[in-house]
Amino acid sequence: MKGIVLAGLRTTVLLALLTAAGCACSERVAQAEPTGAGSPKDKPAAATTPGSAPPATPSAAESPPPAEAPAETRKPRATAEPSPKKDTRTAALEKPAAEPLDLAALEKRLRETEAIGTLTKLTLKNQVDDLLGRIEAHHDGTDKASLTELRQPFDLLIIKVLSLLQDRDAALAGAIATSREAMWGVLSDPAKFRSYLNQNRG
Amino acid sequence: MIRGMRSLAAIAAITLSAAGTAGAAEATISKDLTATLALLGVPCDQVVSSQRLGDNDYLATCKDKNSYRIYVNPKGRVVAEKR
Repeated sequence: MKGIVLAGLRTTVLLALLTAAGCACSERVAQAEPTGAGSPKDKPAAATTPGSAPPATPSAAESPPPAEAPAETRKPRATAEPSPKKDTRTAALEKPAAEPLDLAALEKRLRETEAIGTLTKLTLKNQVDDLLGRIEAHHDGTDKASLTELRQPFDLLIIKVLSLLQDRDAALAGAIATSREAMWGVLSDPAKFRSYLNQNRG
Repeated sequence: MIRGMRSLAAIAAITLSAAGTAGAAEATISKDLTATLALLGVPCDQVVSSQRLGDNDYLATCKDKNSYRIYVNPKGRVVAEKR
């Protein structure tokens, strides 16, 4: 009789543990979802296209991105040097220009990230392709939109990508934010843009 | 008797585990669809349920009870059609 009672207790405990584990999983997913709306790992497509990895203007809205490069920023602080804050800020501002832009690597990371769903990645790729088409038309002289006007959709795309990545792939979000200006530099320069397109199409 | 209870426990464990995995997958898809609708500018606070119609083809129901078919058209563009 005792054996049966013990077995029953074990079963109950086992079921309780399994249920708790299942709930924990669901909660994690639920938490990740909210961010997901902007979520997105698969911007790879976007990254692939010139537009997706575009460099946005350094407006007030963009100032947050620098914070996304926390890894670098935090290191200096850890050293506990005299005036860490100033050094950190200076480093954050200088790094973007110093770091070489590796669009191919960013594109690959966007494609492989699991922070963005497949359909989201495809949608972003569509939008990146649209923007690239407009920029190409601008450089060809067939689209009268100015670079300043094209910068806005570029910035919007960057913000979309960052919002999708920031909670689930902060490292990639930081890398994209850091490369923003460099990306825009490629897009806005006719020679660099054509070279980029040729590389991708070739 | 004890063997029977153990078997039941094992079955329950497997069932619960499978349910958890399916729930996670569903949540991931809903999240993807929600993000897609947002990118397309479709007003949908959150996708609360979805039905797979084919490859990259879903019927999503939003919190406001509007439904959209989200699919990739022949041109490779993601489209959301209100149902």
